[in-house]
Amino acid sequence: MRSKINIYLIEYAINSLLRQKYKSFFITVVLTALIFLLSSLFFITNSIKYELQSTVNSLPEIVVQKVKAGRHYDIDVNAIDDILTITGVSSAVARVWGYYYFENAGVNFSIVGIDEYEQQYKNSLIHVAKKLDFNSGSSMFIGTGVKKVMNKNYYQEYFNFIKPDGTLKKVDISGVFNGDTELESNDVIVMSKENVREIFDIEEEKATDIVVKVANENEIATIASKIKLMYPDTRVITKDDLKISYQNIFDYKSGIFLALFVVSLFTFFIIIYDKASGLSSEEKKEIGILKAIGWRVDDVLKEKFYEGFIISFFSYMSGIVLALAFVYIFNAPLLQNIFTGYSQLKTSFELPFVFDIQTLALIFFLSVPIYIAATIIPSWRSATLEADEVIR
Amino acid sequence: MLKKSITIFAISLVFAITNLQAIGFTKSATIKPELFQEGAQKEWCPVCGMNLEAFYKTSHLSKIHNHKLRQYCSMRCLIVDMQEHDINIDEIEVVDALTQKFIKASSAFYVVGSDVKGTMSKVSKLAFAQKEAADDFNIEHGGEVVDFKTALKIAKESLSSDVAMVDNKKSKQVYPMGKKIFEKKCTKEIDINAYNQINELKADIKDKNLCSELKESELQALSLYLWEVKKYGDLKNSSDTINVSRDEKCPVCGMFVYKYPKWAAQIFYKESHLSFDGVKDMMKYYFEHKENISKMLVSDYYSQKAIDAKEAYYVIGSDVYGPMGDELIPFKSENEAKTFSMDHKGLKVLRFKDIKAKEVHKLDE
Repeated sequence: MRSKINIYLIEYAINSLLRQKYKSFFITVVLTALIFLLSSLFFITNSIKYELQSTVNSLPEIVVQKVKAGRHYDIDVNAIDDILTITGVSSAVARVWGYYYFENAGVNFSIVGIDEYEQQYKNSLIHVAKKLDFNSGSSMFIGTGVKKVMNKNYYQEYFNFIKPDGTLKKVDISGVFNGDTELESNDVIVMSKENVREIFDIEEEKATDIVVKVANENEIATIASKIKLMYPDTRVITKDDLKISYQNIFDYKSGIFLALFVVSLFTFFIIIYDKASGLSSEEKKEIGILKAIGWRVDDVLKEKFYEGFIISFFSYMSGIVLALAFVYIFNAPLLQNIFTGYSQLKTSFELPFVFDIQTLALIFFLSVPIYIAATIIPSWRSATLEADEVIR
Repeated sequence: MLKKSITIFAISLVFAITNLQAIGFTKSATIKPELFQEGAQKEWCPVCGMNLEAFYKTSHLSKIHNHKLRQYCSMRCLIVDMQEHDINIDEIEVVDALTQKFIKASSAFYVVGSDVKGTMSKVSKLAFAQKEAADDFNIEHGGEVVDFKTALKIAKESLSSDVAMVDNKKSKQVYPMGKKIFEKKCTKEIDINAYNQINELKADIKDKNLCSELKESELQALSLYLWEVKKYGDLKNSSDTINVSRDEKCPVCGMFVYKYPKWAAQIFYKESHLSFDGVKDMMKYYFEHKENISKMLVSDYYSQKAIDAKEAYYVIGSDVYGPMGDELIPFKSENEAKTFSMDHKGLKVLRFKDIKAKEVHKLDE
């Protein structure tokens, strides 16, 4: 079987494109811009989805909070003993944490307390628990965002927390905390539970909330309802509840993305419609002449195919590359702001690189074949006519 | 005269109540506690190893072999000790929760089931020398005023569930914590068998600096781990779930087993093994081929760990479905199986040998 690709046809196609410089250039630019916009949107949503997913996955199965008069209250540590008696609970840990408002920079830090020998409820905390010096009395690990803010305010080696009674608590910075996700660790400070209790003035017998680990996911709902029965004054939040609320925020934001998506897709199809609705008389004439000098119909179609393929594939590649650079190197300025409605500190998170072949394929099939079809179909219509009819 | 004394009584009563409310009730000693045992171990309960000062107001005192004094953190430990040693009930003493002095238990008034948390028990039992004091406390904190014998009876009845509660906490929280502390802080050799009681071990760890400095709660966790686990081996590795490779199919239904790790079950022969996506399919296979089996494993529903199929308890007829519909759901302990059966409308709890082929096949109908 001889090679199907005819070099001369490709050469002719390139020349034909170059002949209509401005037209080809314009189409390439518009296509590239469209693909760039579409793929950037997809990349950002994918990355944020991934980030949220991994945040959600690292969440504990059940969180128990005490609620008094509709507001969150410190829970009694002894509740752990009762929760542990429920069959199916594999561990329960009292968390001591809270938000510390740093007035000079106008940002909130999340301070998380850990215990040296306790089971850590998050993988990222296990490493910190190994490295953190519990004996010296005051040492902490801080997230990258916190480090930046502190350094800006000339806190290089330690930080002074203001306790509720107005006195200062000096804590040494002993390292940087790297969580599983940027979203999770950026604003976090990790230190011993005693220190957190001191900074927030939480009693020894109280904790912010209790996290419960359940080995078998099927049992989460049953166990949650049992805890609720034991402690009617608590709010029992399961992993699924959290997933839903995260998903809600995400869905709300992706509505804006959808709008952008629809607009760009609409533009694209207008271009396609314009192309498909007919050829200029000049193009028709060209096909007629080609046929007159002996080209067969399939030669003409092949040539048109190459033309369409070159333009659309080139636009596709450059659009994707531009989008990758825009999203992952420059962190999607402007577009990213749609998604980040947190405090100042939170916005600085970087989008994790997620390579999703499905998205690329989706964009490819939305652009390249449709554009090729839009060039071939009208050409085919003219090519099947008699040459003299077209030229006339 | 009478009027005056009544007013004084009323005022003192009001004062006492407000006073109680103001400070809140604590079980730990507010005065210097009296410790009766000999040696450095006197600070701790000989049965459970807990700090006596922290649970002073539930503390009991007994004489074993008519001379040796033993001081417990609670009535629960006293009862545990009563099962082992010959203890004369009339000689038992208890701390008066009001005056914090030791009194004869047999003449004391116990407030059982108040809102004060029990020591090593779900129900607290606080003793008072005076009936009035017990009644006052009863009004303030609820519960019921009973005599010593009744309190003892209540404690005896709840012993097994109290033991279960404490064991739960120990295995889920205290032992792993103790193990971590042991590995990090203890460098010297500790000969656990050299001690008769846990409080002797605690005293030695503290006084002879066998491990670096510890807080009381850390010391307790460490001692419990050494005393109740390390003495008899070590903690089992917690990640021993059933391992299924990606190409293993259930020989009964033909589905890939790795997709349903929660339900995996295995039959082992000398050299090979078969994996099933549920106990039901495993049993179907087992009834047909009973020869040469070396061991059978099923996944415990609650912990997801691999357990011996022949030792497990199975719940039949529950509303929980496996990958092949209705299932026999395996549990490590009978208690867990019963709890599950109640939660999920199970029909009955079976042992392995009681599972009948007919019942298994009926599950598919």
